[in-house]
Amino acid sequence: MPKSCATASSRLVVTDASEPSAVPPSAVPKAVAPTVLASGHLHPAILLLRLLDALRKAAVPMVLGVAVQSWWLVGFGIVLFLLNLGYATARYLTLEYTLTTDELRVREGLLERQERRIPLDRIQDLGFESTILRRALGLAVVLVETASGRGVEASLDSLSRADAEHLRDVLLAARANAVANTTTQTQATAEGEPPPLQEPAMLAPEWLVHQSTTGELVLRGLTDMRLSAFLVSGFAASQLADQLGFAQRVAGLGRGARDWLLQFPPLTLVALLIALLLVVMALGVVTATLGNLVTFHGFRVTLRGDVLQRRYGLLTTRQKTLPRTRIQRVTVEQTWSRRLLGLSVVKADSAGGSRSDGEDTTGGWEVIAPMTKLPTAQALLPALLPGLEQESFEWQRGSARLILRTAVPGTVLALVLTPVLWSQAGPVAAFLLLLAPLWALLGLLVWRNLGFALGRDFLTLQHGVIGRTVAYVPTAKVQAVVVRRGPLSLLLGLADLTVYVAGGSPTRLPDLTLADARRLANAIAQRAATAAAAAW
Amino acid sequence: MSGEASLRPEQRLQRRVIAYWLVGGALTTTVLTGLAWFVGRPLLVEHWDKWSSTFDLVLAGACFGLLAITLIEPPLAYARWRYAFLGDLLLMRYGILFVEERAVPVRRMQHVDLVRGPIERLFGLATLVVFTAGNEGSSFRVPGLGVTDAQELRDRIVEARGDGRL
Repeated sequence: MPKSCATASSRLVVTDASEPSAVPPSAVPKAVAPTVLASGHLHPAILLLRLLDALRKAAVPMVLGVAVQSWWLVGFGIVLFLLNLGYATARYLTLEYTLTTDELRVREGLLERQERRIPLDRIQDLGFESTILRRALGLAVVLVETASGRGVEASLDSLSRADAEHLRDVLLAARANAVANTTTQTQATAEGEPPPLQEPAMLAPEWLVHQSTTGELVLRGLTDMRLSAFLVSGFAASQLADQLGFAQRVAGLGRGARDWLLQFPPLTLVALLIALLLVVMALGVVTATLGNLVTFHGFRVTLRGDVLQRRYGLLTTRQKTLPRTRIQRVTVEQTWSRRLLGLSVVKADSAGGSRSDGEDTTGGWEVIAPMTKLPTAQALLPALLPGLEQESFEWQRGSARLILRTAVPGTVLALVLTPVLWSQAGPVAAFLLLLAPLWALLGLLVWRNLGFALGRDFLTLQHGVIGRTVAYVPTAKVQAVVVRRGPLSLLLGLADLTVYVAGGSPTRLPDLTLADARRLANAIAQRAATAAAAAW
Repeated sequence: MSGEASLRPEQRLQRRVIAYWLVGGALTTTVLTGLAWFVGRPLLVEHWDKWSSTFDLVLAGACFGLLAITLIEPPLAYARWRYAFLGDLLLMRYGILFVEERAVPVRRMQHVDLVRGPIERLFGLATLVVFTAGNEGSSFRVPGLGVTDAQELRDRIVEARGDGRL
């Protein structure tokens, strides 16, 4: 019986709403008193960083003070410096962490003492992050994440790299033991004797799952079209506004620039604008490429036992562990440009992490493969979701009535907007009639990309308009299934199916036929209800 | 586990939930329309010189529309609401324009609450709130249950969830 729900299921809290993580760590009385596995203080070198930090903070008033010959300001700077340094020193001296077989305790504070206790089975992840300065000093910030949905629960800034690695290894071994203990405990308590304390599990060998090449990262940057797409659409919008005669009214601010531009002959003007656009786009692409290279430099995913580990970064290096059992959903994402090139991004949502579709959280915490060829991405999946390789998916399509459902609002919109605009702007408004076929085309594209398949243990879903995203959800992780029908869907006999998991945004299957949606929802719900995997 | 065909919830809410919704809705609507008409309108008339009787009509129409919705909504909502507890699944179906059918596996539930507001208590009703782990849409409500029914349902859920052996 996996760990996290051992507590949740044995004591279901019946009173008011408290966070899942606030559930008492162990409702089951432990047969073994918790023993201390590791403990320690922050690394002394952090004082050096704090010193620099304090200097940096005090620099402005001091420099300013010297410049204007105000000794009050200099004094203020010195006091600020001493206060900052004193606080950092006090924090360094008092902070102590202890890892026992039950929990991770972080105690700190001089005047205001604080002790944070995080139950072991609630710890979702242990991540490392070190900026370039910390790396030079051999330090790493340890980030403790729980599944509470708040992300980082506690951070230790900073431990030496060796200490940090040791802490993680011990923690992983202790957790593996806790699982073993809960399973043996039931048998042992039946016989009336405490289970033997097991030796810390030997660390399994580490396998390389995926490694990014520099070429792939460059491609990731080059196909990062968000900025340029934004610029292009902005330009197009301004041109349209100009055509429709809005621009003059808005003007005022841009009039000066406009007059200056209008002195050029139209051909030069167009060339100038295009050149400007290209420069901005190139700038966007270059920054995106550099940014990606720096963030994901040397990206490596390894698998040790049941725990995935990612290491990456050029200036700030990051190391993040992700237990496979905590994966809620895996997506293979292709934007239109990447789809053309046959490239894709693999991401994994875990309980506690929160992001919406297609959006990266800072630092790329959920990225498993920043950029890789589609077949490689697909070959990667069984390493993330064991058992996926045994599935044979029978892909099904959504209902073609989806096109109608999208086209109808588009047509209505076009028919309403055109007369309104005609009275204002004249026959130009007829262009708005194009909305109808455009929306129909949108519906067609959505329908063409929509597909789903329910295997034995996994639900897969493919959706997109020009790009394409394929999501894999283990049915055992499903928290709730919702079939939803709006007024238009009711008329057309369609329904949306939304699948909720503990991490990330819900997976939505739009516009299935009602019968399909119900059948699928029932099947998923029943599988989730009977699934053996209780850990989220 | 029952077959797939029986996955449709059949149980209805207590009929007096209509009265409860009416009272609750009437209270909020009265406060809202009262505020709009007796506070918002004089203020606008005083400070906005373009105010005309057309706006009066629109405002009055909106107020009466709101009132009408408050009166029509509860019976319709009651007619649609169904729920069922199948031992390992909690099912619900509700909604007037947008119809939702939800299924929550008992094993995924984190805690179960019973909520009773002051007006609910007057009518002897209770709302069952079920929480799952997750960021979005992680709580599910079943309103308009009789108090004993609600307690029984909660106890059944806790029992189904409580043994913890899977």
